[in-house]
Amino acid sequence: MKQQVSRLSKTKKNILFAYSWSLPSLLLISLIVIFPILYTGYISLTNMNIYHWTDYTVQGLENYKDALFVLDNGFLAALFMTIIWTVVNIVLQLVIAFILASLLNIKELKMRNLYKTLLIFPWAMPGYVSILLWKTGMFNSQFGLLNQWMVKAGFEPVKWLASDHMAFICCTVVNLWLALPFMITIIDGALQSVEKSYYESSVLEGATWVQRTRYITLPIIRPIIAPSVIITIFTTFKQFDVIYLLTQQVGSKSGANIHTILTYAYEKAFITNNYGYSSAISMIIFAILIGFSLIMNVKIREEGKAS
Amino acid sequence: MKKIISLILLIVLVAGMQTGCGSTPQPDASGPITITIWHDKEEAVVTVLQKYLDTLEPEIQVVLENKSNLTEALKMVGNNPSAAPDMYFFAHDKIGVYAEMGILAPITDLIPEEELSLYMENTIVAATYKETIYQLPIYYETLLFIYNRLYMSDEVVPKTTEELYAYMEEKTRGGHYGFVEQHSTPYYAAGWINGYGGSILDADGEPKLNSEETIEALTYHKKFVDLMPGETEYATVNTLFREGMAHSTIAGPWLIPTIRDAGIDVGVAAMPIIDDTELPISPYMGVQGIQVLKYAAENKTEAVKSVLTLFLQEEIQVELALASGCAPAKEACYELDSIMSDEVVMAMKETAEHAIPMPNVPELDVMWTVVGNLLTDINMRGEDVSESATKAQNEALQLIENMQ
Repeated sequence: MKQQVSRLSKTKKNILFAYSWSLPSLLLISLIVIFPILYTGYISLTNMNIYHWTDYTVQGLENYKDALFVLDNGFLAALFMTIIWTVVNIVLQLVIAFILASLLNIKELKMRNLYKTLLIFPWAMPGYVSILLWKTGMFNSQFGLLNQWMVKAGFEPVKWLASDHMAFICCTVVNLWLALPFMITIIDGALQSVEKSYYESSVLEGATWVQRTRYITLPIIRPIIAPSVIITIFTTFKQFDVIYLLTQQVGSKSGANIHTILTYAYEKAFITNNYGYSSAISMIIFAILIGFSLIMNVKIREEGKAS
Repeated sequence: MKKIISLILLIVLVAGMQTGCGSTPQPDASGPITITIWHDKEEAVVTVLQKYLDTLEPEIQVVLENKSNLTEALKMVGNNPSAAPDMYFFAHDKIGVYAEMGILAPITDLIPEEELSLYMENTIVAATYKETIYQLPIYYETLLFIYNRLYMSDEVVPKTTEELYAYMEEKTRGGHYGFVEQHSTPYYAAGWINGYGGSILDADGEPKLNSEETIEALTYHKKFVDLMPGETEYATVNTLFREGMAHSTIAGPWLIPTIRDAGIDVGVAAMPIIDDTELPISPYMGVQGIQVLKYAAENKTEAVKSVLTLFLQEEIQVELALASGCAPAKEACYELDSIMSDEVVMAMKETAEHAIPMPNVPELDVMWTVVGNLLTDINMRGEDVSESATKAQNEALQLIENMQ
């Protein structure tokens, strides 16, 4: 009995000890992640705006009521566009990254490291710079490289970012350019963890490349790349800069009218300097993302149990 | 040993977290008083500023701090004396926002009001929000009609917009443009709207996007846009002019040094007169000046007064205006040879007679996006002017309501 009590107090001591060691990082995480969320939640319940900058008061769910007016047809269209945008981008990223990573893993490939460095290059550049370079260097109808080629080939110059469909394709291309290095790196790492003997046996059994990919590679790399894919889904879902900078930036609007939920919320709320109202919109978007996250987690857990 | 190091690191971390949460700093009465001025100005302007501000030493030490996102930074820290500047040097159009936030001090509390009677009237109008003057104007800028003498001689510079249109029709071909501008950018399109007697936003913060005059202006402007390139952004428009592919443009004075460096013989003329209204294209006018934060006005009164008194001198106004390529705000400066001999400054003075000070009401913040969308709908998507204007007006009203 005495021994049990002493073991219990030792366990408690260990837990306390572990927490005390984790305290600095927990404090830091609270400060950087938890506090802003809680503070945004608090501000969303107040009437903080430029007319009540210091004398703001708590007014309950008023801002949420107003925010729901933003969730009109425009918001639903933006939400639909965001889902299409996420699906198209994720599918393309996975397919292209898998093909490139597979090519990088060909045994006989020479200068592998050079290709890897080149493929990682877009990641090293600040996103803002990359996007504006694409906008002015590639898509500009007067000076852009694409139109220079078009004119040389005898075609009329194209306004790449002016129509909705074309702008969507251009935004997707730029997003792929920015996002592929991450996905290639992850899939490349995952491919290297696949036991080579599986392939050797399958080759002896007469399996084709497609069969090897379907029955060996994909099932093995799936749990490894799953967290990265989830992260990428969220990053793509809450994408703002690619679409905003290419088509919506004030002073250089391109004529296209494509909106994700974030660019839509920016135009409808964040420019109003009403921090209570903008915070309410942020909290609603946050709730939508958390909802998606929970669904994804449940799905992954179910799949894990099934396998 | 590890425990000690960890403990030290923990203390450092916690101490670090406390940084920035300090109490309000009190000016030290014994030593020199430090005045911090935030600005977003180019090197040439800063050099002139520093030269004059250094004359206040040793009693007053002025620190010029360049802030790239000054307006947003000021919103965040404007009421926190430990992080906010004492003054800032910026355009007048944010005065309403900061006045409503309660962080600005009236400038007339710090300098005699009669001093301001020596300034151009529209610069004082720009500096005034709800009948209180919050800015000491230094210089102002307006857009200018700029042309390339290689293609457009002084004699053929269009005097009216119809002459300009005829010139555009004749010369816009083979990759060349008779005239280009940032046609779907609100700041540039405002000149056409104002010239028609319309307006984006009136002085009371009321949007006027579906007024008869604004709709007429947008309809008339559209025919010019059809002869311009699709892109509306700064880089494309200015590169076309700098590369000699556009014969004329409407642009800010900041473009002139670059195009002169590119070897272009540039001319500056008065804005063309709109045939329908017999008024010139009347662009917005931005007045750059000094604003004082409330805390500094209350706690560093004498030092702030000294700095403002320095900026009242014509000499510093002239030097700052020339360094920035803009025009001084004080009337008396226009009697000086250095100003009268400057073609750009004098053209700006002429344009300023019809220019409209940019509204300084907080509502302007939402108008840039709404008007940008309106111009894009009309000029780039070919949508109906009246319908687009009504839609934009309703959107503007909704956003303004949401500001409250």
